[in-house]
Amino acid sequence: MKGSLRFHLSAAALALAMLPLAAASSLAEDPITIGWVGPLSPPGNYSGGQEMQWAVQLEVDQINKDGGVLGRPLKVIYEDTKGQPAEGGAAAVRLITKDNVSAIVGEFHSSVALAEIEEAHKYGVAWVGADVWADAITAKQYPEVFRVAPANSLIYVKAADWTIEQGYKNIAIVAENTDFGQGGASIVANELKAKNINYTLATIDLNQQDFTPALLRLMSQNPRPDAIQMVIAGQAQYQLVKQACQLGLAPTAQTALIGSSGLLQKEVWEVDGPCAKNLLIVNVAQPKSQWNAATQAFVKDFTARYNRAPTGVALEAHDTLGVVVAAIKKAGSADRAAIIKAIEENTYEGLNATYTFPTDKTPDWAYHQFKDVPFTIIQYTAENQPPEDAAIVYPKKWATTDKVQK
Amino acid sequence: MSYFLLLAVNGLVIGLIFALVASGLTLVFSVLKVVNFGHGSLYMLGGYASYYLITALGLPSLVGVAGAMVALFIFGVIFERLVIAPMYTDKVERKDEYAIIVTFGLTILLSNLGLVVFGPFSKSPPSFMPGALILGPLILPYDRLIAAVVAVVLLVGLTLFLKRTALGQALDAVSQSRESAAVIGIDPRRMYTIAFGLSSALAGGAGALIAPIFALSPSMGDLPAVQAFIIIVLGGMGSVGGSIAGGILLGLVQGLGVGYLPDPNRALAYTQAFGALLLVVTLLIRPTGLFGRSHLRLE
Repeated sequence: MKGSLRFHLSAAALALAMLPLAAASSLAEDPITIGWVGPLSPPGNYSGGQEMQWAVQLEVDQINKDGGVLGRPLKVIYEDTKGQPAEGGAAAVRLITKDNVSAIVGEFHSSVALAEIEEAHKYGVAWVGADVWADAITAKQYPEVFRVAPANSLIYVKAADWTIEQGYKNIAIVAENTDFGQGGASIVANELKAKNINYTLATIDLNQQDFTPALLRLMSQNPRPDAIQMVIAGQAQYQLVKQACQLGLAPTAQTALIGSSGLLQKEVWEVDGPCAKNLLIVNVAQPKSQWNAATQAFVKDFTARYNRAPTGVALEAHDTLGVVVAAIKKAGSADRAAIIKAIEENTYEGLNATYTFPTDKTPDWAYHQFKDVPFTIIQYTAENQPPEDAAIVYPKKWATTDKVQK
Repeated sequence: MSYFLLLAVNGLVIGLIFALVASGLTLVFSVLKVVNFGHGSLYMLGGYASYYLITALGLPSLVGVAGAMVALFIFGVIFERLVIAPMYTDKVERKDEYAIIVTFGLTILLSNLGLVVFGPFSKSPPSFMPGALILGPLILPYDRLIAAVVAVVLLVGLTLFLKRTALGQALDAVSQSRESAAVIGIDPRRMYTIAFGLSSALAGGAGALIAPIFALSPSMGDLPAVQAFIIIVLGGMGSVGGSIAGGILLGLVQGLGVGYLPDPNRALAYTQAFGALLLVVTLLIRPTGLFGRSHLRLE
């Protein structure tokens, strides 16, 4: 009996002695938690948000398969911001205070991003924007805010200059009534004005479905626009393309139609059919010829899992997570302040580019803005053409043709 | 003049689709005294129903539209029997609140279910007929022309049905007084079911007609639902004829407003504002709407 008691006491002492080790082992397996924000339901652009979420989850699965981050599993908590600033702000607060995330990545809508970064700044949490273009996001120069997507000023000055080089003399700018749309339209308009090119501005509401009255108005102008630059995100462009085409306005030999990344999804062919041929698209992604091995593998895995090819938005979404994970590895910690410091100091080779985040404060939007954003203007030259096979008309270093098809 | 004609014809076409959506909404309000906040979701469901009938079963486009209307009629009948009907019993005390909650619930359910079932990416059935009718200065895509013609046929058919058939007159009788209608042997509950089914079919038909013109998405019914509410107030609550007139008027005012507002930059963004302005002016002049029946009240 005495021996048995001694045995039990010894076992209890051993168990007590091992408790700290057990706790340490349990901590080692606690996941590192990252928050993701983006639109997954109306009225936001949920198709873009869905593609971003898929890209991030694919990467999370791959990281965890490879052993996690710092020996810990990686977990991403997804928040649907519905394209609404109030939802975005509330989602950021939930992620930071309830889920205790180490950093936040994602977002598709600039207006929503502007609400989220206020919370990220208030709580000192890194926020890395995926596909939000309004200059104001980085222009606030918050230490916590980084952006892999271009600022409007980075892209639309070049896009406007390209249209001028092409010899277009009367340009219509059709822009959505958001921070992204109005900011982009203003940049294009200023550039055209500086070069004495005639332009007309038309603002649209994203809930609008019938653009025909405004298109008829453009058609009635004398002279009629020879190019229409859409500063519209997502699938709202499909309607505009279809209606402009059905009226015989654009894309035609007389009037070019230039859109953005929403037109890269394969549904453009289902909705717009032959009308999508000759569309010009501002594409924030490297051409296929420049893809590295990781990009090729990602495209293959994404296509296999989701039965559709990823667009540049998915690559950007992947890279936002990659930027944060690389920073955690560099810092050796998932501490919020350490992550911010590491993102600023780190260089990360992603799928779409090699990212650095400068601390230049002039122009104001350049702070923590990745500057070497890969950017092409492509043109669908055949029906049902995937974007990676489309003709590249800009920039010259990647161009596959020097002529825009009319 | 040709510019005015182009805008007016386009406004008329869109107005006819608005009228189709709104006439269904007003039918339910008139007969059941229920404001159906889920009407936009039925419009969306009709669009997708026609899409799958055309693309999966290979039906001709207009047969797909008819099929969508039948499917939505059945859906409406089942929904009314299962969800709305308890409102007429003693089981439900606060009937108005119940109706609001279940029709809002229908919107939330169908929108979210739409995202899961149909996916987040836009879809579109093939054109009714590619190309456009060009008559001098007039350009009208065939898809719009066909949608407008079918909408006219459906609206005329609905009007004749309500005026000339015994069933239509029974619906009208219930809309005026369910108690008096019951006294002369009309079963109000049967009329409620028929009215809700018809209303759903009209919304579904409008969604199916618009599908090749715009595109399908789970949120496509949000704006038409708002437009329909403006129209039924504009035309007069409970008046099918008023809804038709209101829909056409709204389409014309919005089209011409966008075309002639002096500031071209803001013109399109103000589309909904033109509708709101039209509504305010109309209600100032005629508080019961264009063809409103002043005795109609939510009970």
